[in-house]
Amino acid sequence: MAGDVAAARLAGARRAPVAGHLVAAVVVFGSWELYGRLGNPLLLPPVSDVLVGLVEITVNGALPAALFSSLQLLALGFGTSLVAGTLLGILIGRYELAHRVFGPFLNALYATPDIALLPLILLWFGFGMPGRVVVVFLAAFFPIMINTYAGVRDAPRDLLEVAASFGVSSEVARLRRVVLPAALPLIMAGYRLGIGRAVVGMAVAEVYLRLGGIGALIVQYGAAMRTDLLLAAILPLPLLGIALTKVFERIENRFQYWRHS
Amino acid sequence: MTTDTTGTVVQPKIRLSGIEKTFRWTRRGRQEVVPALGGVDFDIRPDEFLSVIGPSGCGKTTLLRIIAGLEAADAGAVRIDGREVTGPGPERAMVFQAFGLFPWKTVLDNVMFPLTIRKVPAAEAAERAREQLRRVGLERFATSHPHQLSGGMQQRVGIARALATDPEILLMDEPFGAIDAQTREYMQEELMRIWAETRKTVVFITHDLDEAVLLADRILVLSRGPGQVRRVVDVDLPRPRWEYDVRAHPAFAAVRNEIWQLLRDDLRAQTEQEISGGR
Repeated sequence: MAGDVAAARLAGARRAPVAGHLVAAVVVFGSWELYGRLGNPLLLPPVSDVLVGLVEITVNGALPAALFSSLQLLALGFGTSLVAGTLLGILIGRYELAHRVFGPFLNALYATPDIALLPLILLWFGFGMPGRVVVVFLAAFFPIMINTYAGVRDAPRDLLEVAASFGVSSEVARLRRVVLPAALPLIMAGYRLGIGRAVVGMAVAEVYLRLGGIGALIVQYGAAMRTDLLLAAILPLPLLGIALTKVFERIENRFQYWRHS
Repeated sequence: MTTDTTGTVVQPKIRLSGIEKTFRWTRRGRQEVVPALGGVDFDIRPDEFLSVIGPSGCGKTTLLRIIAGLEAADAGAVRIDGREVTGPGPERAMVFQAFGLFPWKTVLDNVMFPLTIRKVPAAEAAERAREQLRRVGLERFATSHPHQLSGGMQQRVGIARALATDPEILLMDEPFGAIDAQTREYMQEELMRIWAETRKTVVFITHDLDEAVLLADRILVLSRGPGQVRRVVDVDLPRPRWEYDVRAHPAFAAVRNEIWQLLRDDLRAQTEQEISGGR
């Protein structure tokens, strides 16, 4: 079977990078361990110490509690971003008037670094949950909005005509039957980019606004010069980012299969 | 009212009266005007297979889109069974040159689409869609996606979809134009068979002389743009035409030649105009 051959080839191609990853991991973590043992453990503790630290803060409950609080912030910020980014993206992608009205403001906001807005967000929304949610929201909003906009704007005109010829006449039906299904792969790609940004926004909000969640742990261990625990607290961030991105990549691929033509 | 070859009076299925269309748009500050149709008057009979042929740019696709209700004429009217067309309607269904299948839908869902839009209950819609897939021989591809099928198969899905609502009129816009030559011959035969089974009024746009003659009861030849009725040619070839070698029939060559002469005159005039810089 041709399919089996192709599948076998694909598996072979996947095995090679795995071996590559392993070699890279051994080299990086090996030299880190070595440097940590020979040099100043305050600046860079050996990997083994970091792992011990990770177990320590997991067992004493500090990390799970922080993670739970961080995830709440992430869910709120990313959730609102997802809804608002999608709706606004549809609006400016589909309606010229909305594009002209909102376009310049969105472009200006997009060009402004989020970090420059932090003092303003602090003033407007305070140190509490609302301010932190706004930071996460802003981080994830633009990839979602811009991808939705692009997908909706490039709605296939020929398929809109096909739909019209079979009796699709309302704008809601056009969106539901043609525009959104056609834009879905791009919209899902926007969600995937957005979730990665949201994790970054979450850490920024927790460190710079009010200490809380993982961010609080990082600052606290840093101040105490517990570099091993500090690194152990940072570790969940990239892992979380990668894991969530992978989840959305999976979902995205489910909507992507028909695009291979 | 029109009279057919036997002299009986027939109510037209589709009446085109004074259809005019001009495309206007502005490019780099300059107003561009392209006249597409310059007053088309024509009656299409019930259950006839009408081929429409003409030089490129004669507005044949525009004419079909106006009949479909996808485009409004600047002047004139399309009447179906006496009622004026103001938009797409369930008694008409279209088959597109580029197939126009929804790539994210399965074959079955594509065929169900017109039924879903017309609010047919899902179970009944699926049953009727399967019936049409059976007709075009694609039932076992119901769960495939369009990109997994060849061009010819995709257009069979397009035809099944058009048949799903059991329309009275099939509007076909060069449906086999994007399909390779051998598959095209097979598709033509299949279309003749489907038409014999279902008896619909077919308006078939093509730029292929052989195809026009092979399929049609009558051929409407349009003049070069702005398109007008140049001539109407009857095709008196016995049916069913898949049972003998139509192309070897003397009437086939005669009709083909008649149309070719008409088109050649237009092509020559167009070329001379282009050479003298008239364009």
